[in-house]
Amino acid sequence: MTTLIKLEILRTLRNRRYLFFTVVYPALMYVFFINAYGSGNQAGGLPVKTYFMVSMATFGAVGAVLSGSAQRISLERKSGWVRQLRLTALPGRAYTVGKIASTAVTTLPAILVVFVVGATQGVSLSAPQWIGLAAALWLGSFVFAALGVALGYAAAPDAVQPIVMITYMAMALLGGTWFPVSGSLEKFARFNPVFLYNKLATFTQPGHSLDLVAVAGLAAFFAVFTAAAAALYRRDTRRA
Amino acid sequence: MASEVAAFRGVGKSYGRVRAVDGLDLVLRPGETVALLGPNGAGKSTSLDLLLGLREPDQGSVTLFGGTPRAAIADGRVGAMLQSGGLMTDVKVRELVELACKVHPRGRSVTGVLTDAGITEIAERRVDKLSGGQEQRVRFALAIAGDSDLIVLDEPTTGMDVSVRQGFWASMRAQADAGRTVLFATHYLEEADSIADRVLVLHRGRLIADGSSAEIKARAGARRIAFEIHDVDLSSAAVPFDETVLRALPGVQSLDVTARVPGVRTVRIRTADADAGVAGIYRAGLYPRGLEVTGVGLEQAFLTITGELDKQDLAEESAR
Repeated sequence: MTTLIKLEILRTLRNRRYLFFTVVYPALMYVFFINAYGSGNQAGGLPVKTYFMVSMATFGAVGAVLSGSAQRISLERKSGWVRQLRLTALPGRAYTVGKIASTAVTTLPAILVVFVVGATQGVSLSAPQWIGLAAALWLGSFVFAALGVALGYAAAPDAVQPIVMITYMAMALLGGTWFPVSGSLEKFARFNPVFLYNKLATFTQPGHSLDLVAVAGLAAFFAVFTAAAAALYRRDTRRA
Repeated sequence: MASEVAAFRGVGKSYGRVRAVDGLDLVLRPGETVALLGPNGAGKSTSLDLLLGLREPDQGSVTLFGGTPRAAIADGRVGAMLQSGGLMTDVKVRELVELACKVHPRGRSVTGVLTDAGITEIAERRVDKLSGGQEQRVRFALAIAGDSDLIVLDEPTTGMDVSVRQGFWASMRAQADAGRTVLFATHYLEEADSIADRVLVLHRGRLIADGSSAEIKARAGARRIAFEIHDVDLSSAAVPFDETVLRALPGVQSLDVTARVPGVRTVRIRTADADAGVAGIYRAGLYPRGLEVTGVGLEQAFLTITGELDKQDLAEESAR
């Protein structure tokens, strides 16, 4: 199984489109946003530079796991690679575990590159805060990996592509990725996993600890997405 | 049970109202090279899916080495190549073969597999940059990545041109020579004829013939007698020509007499017993010129067998 996981990671890192959209693009967007908002201001209760560093890191991470899992799974179901793997001694779950593991590894560059750009732009956090924030965002990305697996088993490639794009963009738009949500929008945003994901950044502020409500919400989403993924996976296996 | 590689017992499988496999009973024995023939939609791929545990039968049971297909695959006793077997993208051929060798419980050396599949030259190429025939060879490599007892190949030479196909047959034969049981589906009858020592003919989900290629041909009324009757010879023998004499020959299945040139009749007979037929022709006092006795190919045999069944089915349907 480790062989499969290693190969999955290798092929993802080799994919140039992946590198551009999940690593380079969010970093460029970050520089754009902090200049557009004026770097001295506040956004969502955080300094602009910190706020967008987190939101662009989550933007890249969510993009990496959604396209890495949903699109690939649905393409490989269609091409027959999933069937071919079922004719090996690998256990049935190996394929899905491999996908989640490889996307989890590949979200790290998406997060770290934006962090490095943030640090050069003057975001100043203590070492435990940097590490804690990276860990929180990395763990949070598993929620979206589970969603990606569910979407990958839900539909055919030509349907999955727009579904992923719409889900991704809508969640980002209403989840505070491009601008902080407030007022009535915030009421609905609490049911948006990306909003909760972005909320993880608030603990870096003086007087704040980790937002436990957001953590609980993400855990709930994780449970729902995992259950959906498992059910859809079993349906796919029966259909062969 | 030990001498049983695979067994279908009363297996049925439907998709909606379409009966893809209908009461299939079949046992594969060790060391056999078996061809599974049938027109498109005959149930070949479904049968292989059932055999490999990719689908569950509606009725009956499928066993591999006495256990479930999944258990046999997990033990590394089966290697398979699917018709729609997509490959992993963004990886090199060697990396993919390495993966297959490593996950196989009885994995072979990567170099050996690359050589046997004839893909050593393309080992460093990216999988997504291969031609159709090269892809088929990579799929074949995945099927032989381990020391399996049974190799299952679904239409392995589809998309290969003729010369490449013959090279591929050598690879298939090498697997059989190594003592493995080989089961392959094909619609190239030549492939079945030249490689398989047992041929199964599937038609509308039913097994309609099971035997050596020679037996299948014999069953289809496998030989043709052709000759000419010249009027000159008739007068000297003082026997008037009468078609009923020919029709009465033993084993005749079809008779065709044409007279394109005045005084010369061309006769073509298809018969199940060519030896008795030829003897009968002489006994009737005829003098056949340019006598030829030929066997019909597997292709013709196959068409005959499936054609007869179609006629029967039609008759049954109209009787209802």
